[in-house]
Amino acid sequence: MSAISLRTESLCVGYRDRSVLENLTIGLPAGQSTAILGPNGCGKSTLLSALARLLAPSHGRVFLGDADIHKTKTRLLSRQLAILPQFPIAPEGILVGELVKRGRTPWRGLFSPWSATDTEICQKALIAVGMEGFAERPLSELSGGQRQRAWLALVLAQDTPLLLLDEPTSFLDLPHQIEVLRLLQNRNKNAGTTVVSVLHDLNLAGRFNDHIVLLGPDGLVTKGPPETVITPSNLKKAFDLDARVISDPVTNRPMVVPL
Amino acid sequence: MNRQFLLIFLLLAAASLSLALGQVSVGPAALWNGLTGGDGAGALTVQILRGPRVATALLVGAAFGLSGSIFQSLLRNPLASPDVMGFSAGSGLAILGALTINLAIPMPLIASAGGLLTAILVLALARPARGHNPLEGAPAVTIVLVGIGIGFTAAAISSFLMTRLTGPQAAEAQRWLAGSLAARDWSHVLQLALIGAVLVIVLLPQIRNLRLLELGSELATGLGANVKRARLGLAATAVLLAAAAVAIAGPIAFVALMAPPLGARIARTADVGGRLLAAALTGAIIVMLADLVARASLPGLQLPIGVMTGILGAPYLLWLLSREIERGEL
Ligand SMILES: Nc1ncnc2c1ncn2[C@@H]1O[C@H](COP(=O)(O)OP(=O)(O)O)[C@@H](O)[C@H]1O
Ligand SMILES: [Mg+2]
Repeated sequence: MSAISLRTESLCVGYRDRSVLENLTIGLPAGQSTAILGPNGCGKSTLLSALARLLAPSHGRVFLGDADIHKTKTRLLSRQLAILPQFPIAPEGILVGELVKRGRTPWRGLFSPWSATDTEICQKALIAVGMEGFAERPLSELSGGQRQRAWLALVLAQDTPLLLLDEPTSFLDLPHQIEVLRLLQNRNKNAGTTVVSVLHDLNLAGRFNDHIVLLGPDGLVTKGPPETVITPSNLKKAFDLDARVISDPVTNRPMVVPL
Repeated sequence: MNRQFLLIFLLLAAASLSLALGQVSVGPAALWNGLTGGDGAGALTVQILRGPRVATALLVGAAFGLSGSIFQSLLRNPLASPDVMGFSAGSGLAILGALTINLAIPMPLIASAGGLLTAILVLALARPARGHNPLEGAPAVTIVLVGIGIGFTAAAISSFLMTRLTGPQAAEAQRWLAGSLAARDWSHVLQLALIGAVLVIVLLPQIRNLRLLELGSELATGLGANVKRARLGLAATAVLLAAAAVAIAGPIAFVALMAPPLGARIARTADVGGRLLAAALTGAIIVMLADLVARASLPGLQLPIGVMTGILGAPYLLWLLSREIERGEL
């Protein structure tokens, strides 16, 4: 799958009269995994929404390759870029298998019959999240972790070169968080999918991502590989947090120890 | 799992009963004779008196059921339906207005214009609160409440217009306003069938959008739906379906509200397409049975069909409202 990069150019975005991010120019490296980090309310979800064409910028542009995404047909984009919002809505009574099938919508004509490829891709998505036995189960009867994985299977079935996720690990316990992050890492390494996720845990973000975009209360603090972004002075700027950063004994990635 | 066939069976049963029973009841043999094109008094009753009436009931009910089902999926709220949200009342007001000034425009057109204008008014007044997701539009409950208010206003103006009408026109308007299938002939059936067929053809390609919108506007956009356009298209289709039914049978209340949840429960279907079909079938069954009871229960008296649906629908609406209040939705 050829990697296409997503980037912003002097992006200003917000709600009605309220501007949240101003003059933001960043690139999300193609084929890599990026974490967006920052304190609550700094605009992580807003940035992700703008990147996924859910929110129109008041100024500036978002490019996917050479195309301005706010001038591209939304259906074409849906084959390039999948977004999992933080709070997706579950239709009443929906089964996991049906939910995952909806991920195929971008690739199917209006009345085209269900193809073997569609079935296979949905099956693979369920296997990737470890939910292959759950297709016939109602979503509402699953645990929080299982439900999150079912939603992930939906966007995996969308089969796009880019995957945007808003806090895919919130409300999960540590083992489940790691499970989800591993799954995304595998997708990134094996399929070359560009993964962009909003995360909260600094250590896990540094451990599982190639690239970090660090936002603070006044917009972008810095961006780059975890080692150069997760430093005491940057954490102070972004979170007003006093911390030491050591390298973790297993992977040598930066590990934050609050003071 | 899927039990649409149960609904189809109920529909056939309701249709047979409606054709056979009434002030003068015909037996099974005469019913069969009438359906297969025979003649004789019983057969003629079936063909001329009751045939068009039952067919109209079927189409009107199906149109209301579809309309309610679209709105309830679109707004993800069981209170959403063209009658509760005042669109039917808007269509009704437009028709009364046209009667008052003797406007010679076909009823379905006037009803559609009234319904669409009311819908635009409701949507314009129901502004989203600050801090609300800009993709989502106004919350369903706001739209429903504004719609209820607009509906009452339209009904009040309709009552005023009623006082301006005199003579046979007034009687006709009165009967129509309460909802009535009396004196419907095959031309009404044909009219409604044509409009209904066009609207169903318009609806079919939009079902995919409806299915995506159920997942919330963010995921729907991510999966390729143009959310604003999709919502407009579906809402317009639903308003027109209800308007077509109102133009022929009057603003019969509660059918569009009750048919979708009842149908989904009987057919045990969760998918959008299945729920639309179930709502259409259930709407048809409700209107046929309500009309049957309205005309055959009290000898020598024809109750307005709206009274019958109200007896069932009003308690259901109250139950829904109290449940929504309990859940903190209202
Ligand atoms: N729909 C909205 N309308 C108005 N303001 C909003 C809306 N959504 C978020 N905000 C505001 O924008 C800012 C950034 O929000 P958000 O991007 O959700 O932050 P984060 O995801 O980093 O926690 C916050 O101050 C929040 O209150
Ligand atoms: Mg957020």
